[in-house]
Amino acid sequence: MLNGLVFACIVLPILAALLALIFRACAIRKALVIGTGVVLALASLALAKAGSFRLAADTMLGINVNSLVMLLDFALMAVILIIGLRLTNWIIVCLAIAQIAGTLYVEGFIGVGSGAPFLPEMGIFADNLSLVMVLVISLVGSLICIYGLGYMRVHEEHLHLEKSRQPRFFFYMLLFLGAMNGLVLSNNLLWAFFFWELTTLCSFMLIGHDGTDEARRNATRALWMNMLGGMAFVFGMMMLKKAGAELSMLTLISSGNSLYLMPIVLFCFAGFTKSAQVPFQSWLCGAMVAPTPVSALLHSSTMVKAGVFLVLRLAPGFEGTWFSVVLAIFGAFTFLVTSALAVGQSNGKKILAYSTIANLGLIIACAGINTQAAIAAAIMIIVFHAVSKALLFLCVGAIEQRIESRNIDDMRSLYQLMPRTAVITAIGIVSMMLPPFGMLLGKWMAIESALNMNFAMPIVITMLALGSALTVLFWGRWAGMLLGAANPKPVRVSDNQSFSISFVLMVLTIMAVLASLLSPLLYVALVQPATLAAADPASGYSIWGALGSFYNNTGAFAVYPLFIAIALGFAWALHAARKASKVEGTDPFLSGANARNENGEPGFIGPMREVTAPTMGNYYLSNIFGEGKLTGTANAVAITLIALMLGGVMWN
Amino acid sequence: MELSIFTILIALVLLLLSPLAGGFITGVDRRLTAWLQSRYGPPLVQPFYDVLKLLGKAPMIVNSWQVLCAYIYLVSAVVALFIFFMQGDLLLIFFVVTVGAVAQVVGAMTVNSPFGQTGAQRELLQMLAYEPLLVMVFVGMAKAAGSFNVSDIMNVEEPLLFSLPLLFIAMVIVMLIKLRKSPFDISSSGHAHQEIVSGVHTDYSGPQLALLEIGHWLEVVLLLGITALFWTSQTTTFIGVILIIVETYFVEILIDNISARMTWKWMLRTSLCTGMVLALVNIFWLYY
Repeated sequence: MLNGLVFACIVLPILAALLALIFRACAIRKALVIGTGVVLALASLALAKAGSFRLAADTMLGINVNSLVMLLDFALMAVILIIGLRLTNWIIVCLAIAQIAGTLYVEGFIGVGSGAPFLPEMGIFADNLSLVMVLVISLVGSLICIYGLGYMRVHEEHLHLEKSRQPRFFFYMLLFLGAMNGLVLSNNLLWAFFFWELTTLCSFMLIGHDGTDEARRNATRALWMNMLGGMAFVFGMMMLKKAGAELSMLTLISSGNSLYLMPIVLFCFAGFTKSAQVPFQSWLCGAMVAPTPVSALLHSSTMVKAGVFLVLRLAPGFEGTWFSVVLAIFGAFTFLVTSALAVGQSNGKKILAYSTIANLGLIIACAGINTQAAIAAAIMIIVFHAVSKALLFLCVGAIEQRIESRNIDDMRSLYQLMPRTAVITAIGIVSMMLPPFGMLLGKWMAIESALNMNFAMPIVITMLALGSALTVLFWGRWAGMLLGAANPKPVRVSDNQSFSISFVLMVLTIMAVLASLLSPLLYVALVQPATLAAADPASGYSIWGALGSFYNNTGAFAVYPLFIAIALGFAWALHAARKASKVEGTDPFLSGANARNENGEPGFIGPMREVTAPTMGNYYLSNIFGEGKLTGTANAVAITLIALMLGGVMWN
Repeated sequence: MELSIFTILIALVLLLLSPLAGGFITGVDRRLTAWLQSRYGPPLVQPFYDVLKLLGKAPMIVNSWQVLCAYIYLVSAVVALFIFFMQGDLLLIFFVVTVGAVAQVVGAMTVNSPFGQTGAQRELLQMLAYEPLLVMVFVGMAKAAGSFNVSDIMNVEEPLLFSLPLLFIAMVIVMLIKLRKSPFDISSSGHAHQEIVSGVHTDYSGPQLALLEIGHWLEVVLLLGITALFWTSQTTTFIGVILIIVETYFVEILIDNISARMTWKWMLRTSLCTGMVLALVNIFWLYY
């Protein structure tokens, strides 16, 4: 049974991907994507219900899995090497050769006195952290793929392609889902590494999908930056091999041997590159050139979440160390800087990108704080961020296809053009930053758990507090702009979307609200068990069921009463707004006699006695928050922090 | 965790009394301000007359989002104050207050009026200025008391003012911004002299403006309640707590009347540089 479910989560999407590449008919592709989505969703739910498990998984359909993965791994690295040669990008070529050499050493083919690697008996290992990840990947990821069906049709119409490139697109999308599930379920580090590099390759292919110069350039940058992380991963495995240690995730985190600290730090470094932490943020910002479903997939459920997953997975292995403290500062710093960078942006996708990096930084800060409450906060943020960010990216994609701009200044009064999408986007934004939604619950847990840190607490909390205020700044104005309207009557026009797009937007909105409401149940069923390995059990949250209240000795967050109070208040407000919508509207105050111009837009009678419509703009404060102002310093600080982490570990 | 009907009842009664207290405090504020400006000023109950009159007006709105936002602002103030009276989590209260602040911004941003929009942008900058400080105040209190819960913070052995003097100054800055007092009244203000008409409130009138005013009264009560936490302890008396509230509020009014309105850049510098340094120094101090 378990074997079957794991097969369905990892191998099935990969097989479906191959089929989508071979059969080019649109109907078959649709059936494959939707079918895979349904199977993945059911399999992941069944796995989550079954709870944590370990599987040997040494043979699959009569083939030795270890040999198969080894073979595929070398094939994958050869492909990357060829890509590097084709691009004549020497960084990629060198990294690929180094990775191949390193992997040959780990596999025992080269090197003095090296035999076969010490492989764990159990290739697959899933605890609640892995299961949460499988759920996020399978549910949110599948929804994004389904949205892609409607989106890519319109996208290719815009590009006037002679031959559809959708088979290739959905091949990599589905492959991505399989690779992610494989990564989070692997105990064998060699398997994890294979899936790790597979996600790197998929993201390279998907970012470059449209084939423009910019897409190629950004894809190349994503590839080499992620390969840098892959290299650190190989180094970590080489150190383990040299010490004769077992290449097993479980041993790494449960032995408490200080010998393992350096490999753990290297694996975390790999996580930083994949999660686009400063100074590696540029690849994720560049990734927005890809079609929107790709951005949504990279930002919400896959890729960047692989990095924070790895750091969280290894968190028990570095509790109480110097590394952990610097990690918390590093994560909080990324949170602060990227939130500030987001304030200076008018490009909607870039705002979302920086906000993603900020939240990943927050998760990493939680891993560094490394108490039970902090790890719980991190997992909650992973879940809620995946849903809300997928929703927001897909909304921006839908908006962009309609207004042909991703600039938030062009989204002013979007409510009058596409009311449903505008309201859904606003809900998505609110779910990112305000109570009673789950993201805010996660942020609350993160700040409260930081209270019990050592002397680093004031530094970490200062950065979290500043960053948090900055996020309110860029989210708040965006939500307000979207909802702009010139009269009280509700707008009744169609958003003109294909069913797959409006369906997925609706499902994700419901998921965002429902998951937040059910957060106490989610916590008890999945998150709490996943945090048991973390330090300081006294800090962990208990749930007072009747009120759905999270509490420990530093604070309490009563989810149900808060939800009910705010929902009732909201219903009251909505009722009042409905009633007011019947009132004849007035024009805004413009310091002059109100008038309408020939297009019926409100304005005022200006000095030349002609109707002047007011124009408005946002404060982007680019001389404070511009990329040019902040990026250089931020990178320097981040590199210093990484050096402090590595130096601290080596010095011991 | 324990929760008795009695505490809920007390919290509800206090919540019902809060608009009265808030309106009364606003009346006192106007009288004191008038006194400082050598005027006679309105009667103490004038704020109530104003609100009642506004409530009786016919609604004049540009769009219905404004109405939604005005109600949400009031709801957020009510919920935040209720959590405070239930002696709940300060950080949670902070986030609930944020809902109201964002509602004000969104309400102003939905109207295509340069005054409202500029007010909204400035309101966001004001939030950027006071939010980190307020978080630091709460963290300092929690560090000293061991918990973010108001119940634990009220139960400390000696008043927090002795261990958190610099954070108290930070709190004064927060209140100046939050109560829309000079030198920080850049997005809207209670005074007759207006820079940008009335900022975020430009396109509000009648009943909706009344709701915003009542919400503001509740926030005044909440902020003064938080100030009171600097003095509450096992040993302090009720009179002492009242005194610190009165003194703090008087200082706010005094600063309001002796300072000119400054720019947002100056505001960000003051609160984020000066205020945050004060807060950081004070919190580090707690470690020794």
